[in-house]
Amino acid sequence: MRIRKIYLAAALLACPALLMMCTKPAPFSDEDYDPRLSGGAATVFDATSKAFGNVIPGLSNYDQHIHDLGDNSVDQTFVTAPATINSGLGPIFNNVSCRSCHHNDGKGSPTTGTVTSSMLMRLSIPGTDAHGGPLPVPGYGLQLQDLAVFGETAEASVKITYTEQVYTYPDGTVTTLRKPAYTFINPYTTLPVDLMVSPRMAPPFFGLGLLVTIPESTILSYADENDANGDGISGRPNYVYDASKDKMMLGRFGMKANTATILTQAAAAYQQDMGITNKIFPKESSFGQPQMDNLADDPELPDSLLNAVEFYLLSLAVPARRNTTDGDVMAGEKLFAQVGCSNCHIPTMQTGVDVRYPYLSNQRIHPYTDLLLHDMGDGLADGRPDFKASGSEWKTPALWGVGLFEKTNGTPFYLHDGRARTLEEAILWHDGEAAKVKAKFTQLTAGERGQVIAFLKSL
Amino acid sequence: MKKLVLLFTAGTFALLSCSKDSDNGTSNSDFAALEDSVTINFVNKTAIPGYEDLLAKATTFNNVVTALNSSTTEANLTAAKTAWKDMRKTWEQCEGYLFGPVEDDNYDPNMDTWPVDYVQMDSLLNSSNALEIADIEGLATLSLRGYHPIEYILWGTDGKRAAAALTAREKKYITSLTVDLKNTCTNLRNSWIASGGNYSAKVMAAGKGSQPFPTRQSLFTAMAAALADICGEVGESKMKEPYDAKDPNIVESPFSGNSTTDFKNNIVGAYDVYMGTFLGSNGKSLHALVAAKNLSLDNTIQQQFQAAISSFDAITMPYEKAILDNAQRIVAAKTMSNLVTLKGTIEGDLENFILTNIKD
Repeated sequence: MRIRKIYLAAALLACPALLMMCTKPAPFSDEDYDPRLSGGAATVFDATSKAFGNVIPGLSNYDQHIHDLGDNSVDQTFVTAPATINSGLGPIFNNVSCRSCHHNDGKGSPTTGTVTSSMLMRLSIPGTDAHGGPLPVPGYGLQLQDLAVFGETAEASVKITYTEQVYTYPDGTVTTLRKPAYTFINPYTTLPVDLMVSPRMAPPFFGLGLLVTIPESTILSYADENDANGDGISGRPNYVYDASKDKMMLGRFGMKANTATILTQAAAAYQQDMGITNKIFPKESSFGQPQMDNLADDPELPDSLLNAVEFYLLSLAVPARRNTTDGDVMAGEKLFAQVGCSNCHIPTMQTGVDVRYPYLSNQRIHPYTDLLLHDMGDGLADGRPDFKASGSEWKTPALWGVGLFEKTNGTPFYLHDGRARTLEEAILWHDGEAAKVKAKFTQLTAGERGQVIAFLKSL
Repeated sequence: MKKLVLLFTAGTFALLSCSKDSDNGTSNSDFAALEDSVTINFVNKTAIPGYEDLLAKATTFNNVVTALNSSTTEANLTAAKTAWKDMRKTWEQCEGYLFGPVEDDNYDPNMDTWPVDYVQMDSLLNSSNALEIADIEGLATLSLRGYHPIEYILWGTDGKRAAAALTAREKKYITSLTVDLKNTCTNLRNSWIASGGNYSAKVMAAGKGSQPFPTRQSLFTAMAAALADICGEVGESKMKEPYDAKDPNIVESPFSGNSTTDFKNNIVGAYDVYMGTFLGSNGKSLHALVAAKNLSLDNTIQQQFQAAISSFDAITMPYEKAILDNAQRIVAAKTMSNLVTLKGTIEGDLENFILTNIKD
């Protein structure tokens, strides 16, 4: 609200000057925008551990109420059915509430099978389903549920081991990366030999409403599937089947842009991660398996709560940048563009108009993503295709808020599987289409590399 | 839960508040020394003593429940209920500074997950599981651990359970649950002290550029944000949801009838953090920082805390009953309104004060 007033005030001040100069009014130049407003009017100034959990300022009382209902719902611990409240956990699951994985509306820890774990394993076998999506594993489905209610058997547990590998910069600086490997322990039934596995960390919740309001044409304008411009980068869109709309759509969410809408993302998380059936996914994740409960209580999640959670995710604000006038941060921002990071981590976009959500509409935002798929090389590859995404392609993740992970998470972890312990490690894992850009980063001086990191920490 | 007052720029606010009238004669060096004291006292007079006391209460609780297990008398059951409430009191007060390891390492859900999973609890109690501490630690969900399953067993659904009604399996189960609570509190205490995780050192290093508090401003903002959070948690969530839904099922701590006491202790704890009087201590705190520069703001915050705390006393019924009583609903609404006002002052004026005055 106040932002608009200030823009208005600025515009009014500018008017007499324009008249005097007899020039045509021009759009604001870049310098006229406050670089801290990563989410435009949907930005909040909060750099604490709760920075990802703020509502967009200026919602109506009614919208605020629905947001609060959703906020409360993502906190709720589910319990075994039948129960008077929060009924329907499991019988097999990965965690018991949304926030158990999405710690402080953020990421969490790259572990599995504990109450603080934020990672799950997507599964499939070669081939595609009727919509071109991944093919479920008989007896397991598309996701491993590594916990079960008392008396039931979890599908398997997952052991994560890391192999340290040394990376040496051209200037001789040495750092260590760690590569994860996953072993399934005690599978309840035989796993196929051609099993494909993709580990996924819980992503942050905020800013999704803005991302969903970016016009499809804007995203497609960054696509360069055949690398016509010869820069070695060939971003391409994923098109996925959306269960809530029952049609193929541009994928925007998920590590491989494998989900199109916030509603489907949330509904799938309820059903797959917690075993809470809902209107979009009314069958238990254990359907057809021996763990299946035979209660006639589906869907377990009231439609209104699912809708409130969808709105909650839509209406979480983006935290503002910090230290934007710091010399190192400003230098790092220039280097970020010069070495080519910003070819995929697109700094600035304009959202489209959705008349239902004025606070998401027409906002100049800084998500640092193109929402497209890129081949990131063998080091990061999971070997598990997901609709159009190949086994080595990943969606460019948004970078807004990345500098606050240390706050929201205690210990920060980066990349789809949390293998990177620092932003520097995350950069060094870039390969494939990003190989040239990464090489340029490594050829910077240590001081310049530090400036790039300082810039990222300001996001 | 969080409705931030959007600060367009801290600078704008600084212009508004630059007037000299609120500066109560504190020199810059005095103020810097005060910031030091507030940081040190937060660690040594609030955070660590809070968790030490919690551990002491957990130990007592474990001893009392162990005694109940071996000698199931009404007197021992009453003692166990008292020890539960005593431990709960310290815990709710410690929620006045819910940041650091308690948040980062999920100690909170380890102790205080709600609701209780009755179906799983029945399966567990009817199984051949040995219910030793290792078995408890191996359970897949926290809804079978912590305060609330113990509360359910001690009080029963009607709050009137007789000692003779406790089964041997239930007694074994809650005995192990109190060991589990004690272990969690030990880990939480250790996470702060020098011989353990030493989170204290990270707080003490505030302002030296290292995470998680590169500046003093970021530490004091985290303290203020924690105060606002607990006001919001109580006033906009724990009280409001059952109130709006008129549903006693969604009131926390329903078996012991302790909900209103829990809520009040949350805010008492937050007030004590602000005042530097946590668990009867006496140290420099946010209150001293604010009073040094803006007595009027300090008075406002204190008055709003006191108004919120005293308004709980008008809720004379257990909260799960109060939300169904017309007269009690009015006083509950007043309490929530007081909490929302207080939260607004903390998020607005107090956090602005910190942004404006804490420059290191």
